[in-house]
Amino acid sequence: MTGLALSPTILVDFAGSGLVIFLSFMALRYAYFLVKLQPVNFLWGFLFYFCLAMTAFSISRGVGHILRIILVMGGQETIWQQLSPWSGGFNTLLMISVASATIYYHTGLAAYKAIRAEAEKLAEANRKLAETAEELQKVNTYLEDMVAERTRELSKSEKKFRHFFENSKDMVYFCDIGGKITDINQSGLKMLGFDKAPGQFNLLSFFKNDNDLDQYLLALSEHGSVSDFEMELEGNDGSARHILLSANAIFDKNGFMTGCEGIAKDMTRLRNMTDQLIKQEKMASVGQVAAGVAHEINTPLGVILGYSQLMMDDFDKTSEAYGNLQVIERQTKVCRKIVADLLKFSRQSGSAKIEIDLNEIIEDVLAVTEHYLNIDHIQVRRCFDPALPRLIGDAEKLRQVFINLFNNAHQAMTNGGEIIVTTSHDQTSGEVAVAVRDTGTGIADDIKAKIFDPFFTTKEVGKGTGLGLSVTYGIIRDHGGSISVESPVQDAATGQKTPGTAFHVRLPVAAEKKAINEEQ
Amino acid sequence: MRRSFHTPAILFTTILYLLQTADAWALQSHGEPEGLYVHQMAHVLFMGALAYLYWHTRRTTSLTSKGWRYLRLFCFLLFFWNLMAFTGHEFSVRLSPDDLIDIGTWREQLAPPIGLFKIIYFIVKMDHFLNVPALLALFISLRTFYLEAKAEIRQ
Repeated sequence: MTGLALSPTILVDFAGSGLVIFLSFMALRYAYFLVKLQPVNFLWGFLFYFCLAMTAFSISRGVGHILRIILVMGGQETIWQQLSPWSGGFNTLLMISVASATIYYHTGLAAYKAIRAEAEKLAEANRKLAETAEELQKVNTYLEDMVAERTRELSKSEKKFRHFFENSKDMVYFCDIGGKITDINQSGLKMLGFDKAPGQFNLLSFFKNDNDLDQYLLALSEHGSVSDFEMELEGNDGSARHILLSANAIFDKNGFMTGCEGIAKDMTRLRNMTDQLIKQEKMASVGQVAAGVAHEINTPLGVILGYSQLMMDDFDKTSEAYGNLQVIERQTKVCRKIVADLLKFSRQSGSAKIEIDLNEIIEDVLAVTEHYLNIDHIQVRRCFDPALPRLIGDAEKLRQVFINLFNNAHQAMTNGGEIIVTTSHDQTSGEVAVAVRDTGTGIADDIKAKIFDPFFTTKEVGKGTGLGLSVTYGIIRDHGGSISVESPVQDAATGQKTPGTAFHVRLPVAAEKKAINEEQ
Repeated sequence: MRRSFHTPAILFTTILYLLQTADAWALQSHGEPEGLYVHQMAHVLFMGALAYLYWHTRRTTSLTSKGWRYLRLFCFLLFFWNLMAFTGHEFSVRLSPDDLIDIGTWREQLAPPIGLFKIIYFIVKMDHFLNVPALLALFISLRTFYLEAKAEIRQ
């Protein structure tokens, strides 16, 4: 009966010991790499020491086993007997070391987990911080885009409002609390009589009436605004302008007024047109009344004149009664002339319009009146346009217009002077313009608006009927033209105002066919 | 100051007492079986440590890496290796010289009759069949940890 051979166990022991040593070294190598890679990681530290102890144990045990096999099989059992306790001792010691390292793992792991938890918290906080930073970056980028977009919109808006400000036909202005202009558009400068912006100027100094100024300032300080405030401005060039002003006060964050901004519309032209319309309406009304009165008076005057002339035949020419009848006849004729004038003013008298040369009409009138004017040291200066177009008009009535105007000038220059008659053709409006200017006393502002009213006169009672300019007005209007008065007269060349009066008559050229048609 | 003055005096007195001791009653003699007992106890301690490591790494939820699975495999295999080694040591001391033939040679055999005891002894002598795979598992575990950590850092 054979035994069980132990050679396989010896071979396994020999090879296994070598493999265990090799594998333990390989494990130790990677543990070392781990520690190098992450030196602060406790787990890698533990595994390193664990592997170190395992390697030491494997070496101790493996080498011991190999030596035992070599020595015992080589007949050196005695040496092995001496080494064996050391090998066994080491094995025991290193097993305990491995076990100790494992026990140490428990405490270390807890500490490591605590540190790891803190580190994770820190990492989480860092991650959140990074996320927040990224979000902030996005917001910042978005803000930048938004700011760029807003800037573009603002620029567009600014351009739009700047365009509106610069090109507005109304005055747009900004001023400080003292009225000093801080910004004003070109229309505003033009309205105030400036070609370009002067260094500094004050809006309040252009208010023509103190009362307007007080009302404007009071409204701004009490209500913070003025709306559709009608006022007059006197420009730097002396021209008066009717203005419709709307303004708002500007307040600082404490509620104190720091200035104002406003828009002013030039209403001068509209105002003049309105005045003219009102005047025309008034004249038309007066004309209708005058025509009615004239018609009613004309008949009894005819009867009085007829009967007085009949009675004159009944009396001797040297008798007192004849003389009285002559006075009645004369005064009745005066009355009839007045009535005739009234009818002319109200366009009730007949009219015969033909093609005329206005220069010739004026020359005809001057041929008669110039002699009397010269007697009173009044010189007549003619500034005729030789290329004046011919008009369609009633020559007789137009002669009366200029007789009235020359008489008016004559009476205004009791101490002599000069009458300047100018004719011109305004091609833009298609009108012929005639200006009769004198160097007389001029017309006061308060009566300027009344001079064309019937029966308005500054002469003493009995020296004038007050119908001269009314008749003139009626005739010019009948010709589709206009008449205006200027006093004092502004020199076109120098811009300076000189005493005297100028009547500006404008008659349309283009209306000739229309006028002829009307006559037909 | 007073405490630092008394400390050398106390130490000196203690040393004098020790030097004057006649019999070393505190020393214990260590007979032959003690080495084996200590070694076997070390195996038990080692098994306990491995069991604890296995249990703790398994219950710790944060240790989820593949490397820990290999480490637990290492613990498992080495635990049973320890058991084998422990058994082997126990059996080897119970064998008498008559149970072996050609001791210390390549022809060494377990003498007949071969019973269960001798078969178990034969098996546990080949403990490297557990030891080598255990060390292989440890090596793979460490290598996995390293590769994962490297990948994590790169990431």
